[in-house]
Amino acid sequence: MIVCVAVVGHQNNPLYIQSFTEADDALKLHHIVHCSLDVVDERVNNPKKSGPMLNETFLGLLYPTDNYKVYGYLTNTKVKFILVTTDLDVRDADVRNFFRKFHTAYVDAVSNPFHVPGKKITSRIFAERVSTIVKSFGLNSAG
Amino acid sequence: MAREVSEICMDSVLAEMVASYCNRFYANKPDLAARRIEAIGYQVGHQLSERYTMERPRFSDHLEAIKFICKDFWSEIFKKQIDNLKTNHRGTFVLQDNKFRWLARMSVDPSADNGSNEDSSATVAESKAAQAMSMHLYFPCGIIRGALSNLGIPCAVSADMSNLPACSFVVRIKA
Amino acid sequence: MDPAKTPLGQMLLDEITPVVMVLSTPLVEEACFKNGFSFLQMLTPFCSFHNIDVPVRTASDQPYRLQKFKLRLFYASDVRKPDLEVAKEHLKQVITEAGEKELSELSLDAPEISHVLESSESGNTPSWLQFFNKELIRVVSFSDHEAFDHPVACLLAVSSKDEQPINRFVDLFNTNKLPSLLNDGVMDPKILKHYLLVHDNQDGPVDRATKILAEMRGTFGTSDCALLCMNSSSDSPVKHEDNPWASYNSNVSPGQDLGCFLNIDDVNEIKDLMQDLSSKHIIPSMEQKIRVLNQQVSATRKGFRNQIKNLWWRKGKEDGVDSINGPMYTFSSTESQIRVLGDYAFMLRDYELALSNYRLISTDYKLDKAWKRYAAVQEMMGLAYFMSDQSRKEAEYCMENAFNTYLKLGSSGQQNATRCGLWWVEMLKTRDQYKEAAPVYFRICGEDILHSAVMLEQASYCYLMSKPSMLRKFGFHLVLSGDRYNKCDQVKHAIRTYRSVLSVFKGTTWSYIKDHVHFHIGQWYASLGMCDVAVKHMLEILACGHQSKKTQELFLGDFLQIVQKTGRTFEVSKLQLPVINISSLKVIFEDHRTFGSLSAANTKEGLWHSLEEEMLPSFSAAKTNWLELQSKLISKNYRDSNVCVEGEAVKVNIEFSNPLQISIPVSGVTLICKHSPSTSEVTSGTKNDIDGKCEELTTSRDLSSDNSSFLVSEVDFLLGGGETTMVQLSVTPRDEGTLEILGVRWKLSGTIVGFHNFEFSHVKKNTAKGRRKGKRSPNENFKFLVTKSIPKLQGSIHPFPEKTYAGDLRHLVLELRNSSEIPVKNLKMKISHPRFLNIGSPENIKSEFPSCLMKIDSVPSGANANPSNMSDTVFLFPEGTSVQGVTPFSWPLWFRAAVPGDISLYISIYYEMGDISSVIRYRTLRLQYNLQVLPSLDVSFQISPSPLRLREFLVRMDVVNKTASESFQVNQLSSIGSDWEISLLQPPETIFPSLSLMAGQAISCFLTLKNCRRILTFEDTGSSISMPIRSDIKLVPQGSEDPVYNMSSEPLVNFHHYERQQQEFSHEPLGDLNTVDFVLISRPLQSDTNASFSDPPHVMSHHACHCSTASTGPISWLVDGPRTLHHDFSASFCEINLKMHLYNSSGATAFVRINTLDYTVTGGQLNPLSVVQSVTPSDNQAGWHDITPVNEVKVTSNVTGSQPGKSLSLGSVSPYIWSGSSSTNVHLEPMSSAQIPLQICVFSPGIYDLSNYVLHWNLLPEDRGGQDETRQPSGKCLGYTYYLTVLQST
Repeated sequence: MIVCVAVVGHQNNPLYIQSFTEADDALKLHHIVHCSLDVVDERVNNPKKSGPMLNETFLGLLYPTDNYKVYGYLTNTKVKFILVTTDLDVRDADVRNFFRKFHTAYVDAVSNPFHVPGKKITSRIFAERVSTIVKSFGLNSAG
Repeated sequence: MAREVSEICMDSVLAEMVASYCNRFYANKPDLAARRIEAIGYQVGHQLSERYTMERPRFSDHLEAIKFICKDFWSEIFKKQIDNLKTNHRGTFVLQDNKFRWLARMSVDPSADNGSNEDSSATVAESKAAQAMSMHLYFPCGIIRGALSNLGIPCAVSADMSNLPACSFVVRIKA
Repeated sequence: MDPAKTPLGQMLLDEITPVVMVLSTPLVEEACFKNGFSFLQMLTPFCSFHNIDVPVRTASDQPYRLQKFKLRLFYASDVRKPDLEVAKEHLKQVITEAGEKELSELSLDAPEISHVLESSESGNTPSWLQFFNKELIRVVSFSDHEAFDHPVACLLAVSSKDEQPINRFVDLFNTNKLPSLLNDGVMDPKILKHYLLVHDNQDGPVDRATKILAEMRGTFGTSDCALLCMNSSSDSPVKHEDNPWASYNSNVSPGQDLGCFLNIDDVNEIKDLMQDLSSKHIIPSMEQKIRVLNQQVSATRKGFRNQIKNLWWRKGKEDGVDSINGPMYTFSSTESQIRVLGDYAFMLRDYELALSNYRLISTDYKLDKAWKRYAAVQEMMGLAYFMSDQSRKEAEYCMENAFNTYLKLGSSGQQNATRCGLWWVEMLKTRDQYKEAAPVYFRICGEDILHSAVMLEQASYCYLMSKPSMLRKFGFHLVLSGDRYNKCDQVKHAIRTYRSVLSVFKGTTWSYIKDHVHFHIGQWYASLGMCDVAVKHMLEILACGHQSKKTQELFLGDFLQIVQKTGRTFEVSKLQLPVINISSLKVIFEDHRTFGSLSAANTKEGLWHSLEEEMLPSFSAAKTNWLELQSKLISKNYRDSNVCVEGEAVKVNIEFSNPLQISIPVSGVTLICKHSPSTSEVTSGTKNDIDGKCEELTTSRDLSSDNSSFLVSEVDFLLGGGETTMVQLSVTPRDEGTLEILGVRWKLSGTIVGFHNFEFSHVKKNTAKGRRKGKRSPNENFKFLVTKSIPKLQGSIHPFPEKTYAGDLRHLVLELRNSSEIPVKNLKMKISHPRFLNIGSPENIKSEFPSCLMKIDSVPSGANANPSNMSDTVFLFPEGTSVQGVTPFSWPLWFRAAVPGDISLYISIYYEMGDISSVIRYRTLRLQYNLQVLPSLDVSFQISPSPLRLREFLVRMDVVNKTASESFQVNQLSSIGSDWEISLLQPPETIFPSLSLMAGQAISCFLTLKNCRRILTFEDTGSSISMPIRSDIKLVPQGSEDPVYNMSSEPLVNFHHYERQQQEFSHEPLGDLNTVDFVLISRPLQSDTNASFSDPPHVMSHHACHCSTASTGPISWLVDGPRTLHHDFSASFCEINLKMHLYNSSGATAFVRINTLDYTVTGGQLNPLSVVQSVTPSDNQAGWHDITPVNEVKVTSNVTGSQPGKSLSLGSVSPYIWSGSSSTNVHLEPMSSAQIPLQICVFSPGIYDLSNYVLHWNLLPEDRGGQDETRQPSGKCLGYTYYLTVLQST
């Protein structure tokens, strides 16, 4: 299951961090997300694999912690999406799919006139959309 | 996903915005009005770029971003691409649209401004007309600037409409 | 670079060196202990040689010279695997000591991340870590599967004092005391022995020793024996500059100096001994052994045949024992030999040889599944690769392989894994692969929490060192290690790590983590008892609005707890709880402007300004800041600082808001003030730095308690979660001088004092006050010159209604008090809305209301009521009115709620001081009253000329009761205007059957308005305006006792005057004679419904002004003549004479032309009809008006070309002709009338409508042309219907 999703602004400032666990591990997740930014920077600054994968928004698996998998996504506007999941076998397609939906949700969220650019995303609608996306994660292609 | 907006409605909104800023809020303070309109454009561009750059690889350099503006971005907004792109390879780009949509319906004849059309006041009228026109260009300038800076390219954008309806936008990227 | 120079190289050269086992007799030790160390310690410093320069020739035949060489000495008792528990204890010891050392620099601030980055590794990695690692590696020394820890030689030391030393030598080396390594066949017990006879010179001459030496030589062979004489300096203790032992003995008491009895000869002797031992014996013997082993190995294993054989053999013993560390290998087994060979080669730096052998053996071990040995060999291979500086990949591969293999072994392999990992890490580090090194550290840390803490910390430094540095991971691992440190209560280390974490998160918005870090640091410091620092950190997280409620409570709770622990009250600048909204800051003070209420103080200065302009003394009329103008009269520094008056409070409004969800008690909110008696040091007072203020505020505090130079108010309040409150604080100066408001202080939940200095917020401050003050340097806003006390008026208007109905007319009293003894004089007053508030005259102060409005029948008291003096100008109180002492000065006011809505009235009263001595000569009292006026009666009038009589009009009055509940009684209607006289058509009973107007009810009634003016000529029209005649009619039934209200009584006249001004229409020329004003007097019936009112209104007056009568244009006319007549048509046709009366009601001369048309020209009769119908609804209010002719006339009058009268008598009209002139011209003077004779002829009996004539009129343009533009200069009217019936006379 997806443990946490996060949006991090282009100055590496957290815009939205939502954990989907009952456990009180918010701090840990914050740390994981925060650390993953290092990996994102690394990926972007010296992209190992070139060719078609070059400069793709989807950064793939950032790093596996002991019991999490952290995926990253970097938009053109240098906004990072981080996905932390506990699933062991995650299909790349699912993650890509997730990020695409998530991105649309994000775009709509920042188009909200009450959203201040660079500030935390507080829109309730966005939160709801995200949670539905998270719920639907991996289901559509599971069968 | 394809949303449609009545184009004329868009135009009217734009015109009304310009009018209300130039004649109502900041009458006789044109530079202020210009700045406000530009700021609005900036916001719009900021958001549009967020939307239109979805589903595409990140730009590796400035030129790519500019090209994006010329091609996809422009055609998203104006249903056509920029007709001509020039650069001096030192951070200045000139985007020319031979028939800029938002000026298409616009025509200012100097005599219309003031009843008298003597040659003496003609030049004055000309300049006034030009200014009135340019007011409508701050918005698109702002859009371009907003889009680019959201793509991580801080820049200054100015517009030149010396030969209408062609209109060229000059993008100076801040080093 | 040379691998030997790298840190790892150094480490290996120290760690992997030949071991010499030392055996000594107690006497030897005794001799050494005189010098403060053991025998071994004595030798240790001389065991490492930097250029020993020994030629070495190992298996490979090219010789090389060994420069750096080191021996490791161990007592036989120490040559065994260290006990794990002991080792752990030891390591813990190490860490704790380190922690103690760290504590010293804990108190200083966390390092800037930038510094951390640019400083080298040694810069930010604590030095003790290296030491710790070394110790950690030592844990696995003397393992039996590695040969480099096995002693290569044995040094036996016997004292010359021992009796029969030979035997001593023998039984020193008897097996039962020897370490297990030698006994259980892990290593070859036959090792090189060296016999040393130690002679203490203090025990006597050396000759005995030499004798023994000779004897030894006899028994043990000449070369292996040596004599060491020591403690030569018997007499005076020797001081060794740069004591060689110091660095080796950690636990040495500073008092004794080591080797005090060893003079220089002794030291040299020891040096020579060791040199000799290593170069002449150990190295050669190792060479020897290498060569031998090499031959054996090559004999057994080199060559194809051997390989095959080996393989077969391995296969054969496949089913042998395989425990975790594989089968047991004795020293004689080929495998051990190869291993020994490899290690020896390694120790002699013949890495090629070592490597080849290791490779050889590793395969064997692998086949044997002797994993531990396999791993060990892999490890050595890696090191060998590294030292021989060839293929890095190989080296790392080996290390990783070894590491993993060790880990696979589980707990037994753990220590080895750790060591291997450390070496691996070093290897990576030397190649700047910090990023790769970090994970290794991460993997090293096993189940031992403490160790893993250290490892994680080292890992974090690796992330820091990696290029580009990964700060976030650095921070994360520091946090992890910090937690672990904390778990094994190494709090100091925990703090250390967390503090460096802070540097990572400084200035970022990752508040969640930041708070966590700060919070824990705070807690830990508190646990160490360093509460001040703890508080410092805790303060960071107080305003944690983003945290959950629970967390907030936790934070706040712990914070307060810690603060209490410190036992003293902290004073924190810019305490974040509660948040001060500086932009809300507002200073209200009264220099010469005094305010009746807070609302008055809050209203714009500009408004008062415009109000007071003409009241204030002449110089202040200038628009500039008039305070400074006033201060022109006085000393310089009065100009640029505010003035306040001794004994009068300066108020400051500040907004406190609580970011948390939990409520916080705030107490003792006071202003920090500073009073300096002299006005001279104004400027010096402003510039004192922050700590200066700290002591300032403390002083000001206790000062304020006793009666000091000023008094500050104290406010306590409880801020609920997310609440925001505006607090008003005040300071009251008691002496003249300079008063400065420095800031505000408060006490958070009784424990911690926060204060906020205003100085720092210039800019915001300025904007906040920009309105009230002109241009002035912002910090001056807090500085006041205190002048000695001067009188101050308090004023109030009572009873002032908050809420009333429109038209309500009241009698109020303005009361002024002057508490001080000094009188004030020259009072002036200005009222913002004279329409609402009027100044009465002193005589009617005690005349009771409303009866004073009643008409005294004898003489109309219109005399005193003269609107002209009641203009909007300043009202000057009569000469010599001076307010003083206890007796209040009161003055009557008239109040009338003119229009519905929320209105605030501003009244400013100017007064001057009795004595001129004070700085402030005059003051103004500013009163503001807010009032809500509800709509009550809505009165509207329509006037239209009556067709019947000239200069007489029909008036329709529509009264609507707009209230929800009130019902009113309409008392009286008065017309005010030039010579108008109004009279009822119906008796009032018919109009108001219920005598009252219920809520929402609307009535209309008709009145006739008659202009009773005789035809005037110009000269006396003027007078008629100035003295308007009023006519009143009672709308209550006759005989009811209600009196008639006197329209000319003072308040009514005045208010009417303002109403007139207000309702004036632009196009109405002033003094137009055709306009009339109506005043309707009504009274609410005393109903109990209006509980919302303090006191219900008594009299209400509704004014409708400028109702114009000239709706039909300036010209009115009337056709006069017979209505029916009999005529004998058989005789002749009938001639009828008519008269037309014309009246010019305008102020200008008019030319009128009457054209009579013939009946034939009546084409298109239909559309007038339709017009009539289409028009009539348009001006229909009550929907029932069309029966009255008035409206029809109106219609015809303003809809040209429509003649409804004719339209109905269409067919029946029989022709007639106008006899006489078809067009007549008349010239009409203003206000004059004329008569024109008309004549028609009819030829048959019938009914005739004589309406087809047209009046053309135009007015002469006049000098007063300006206002006349809007009004039409000329016009055309169609005739009225006039039915004439002619009958055949019989």
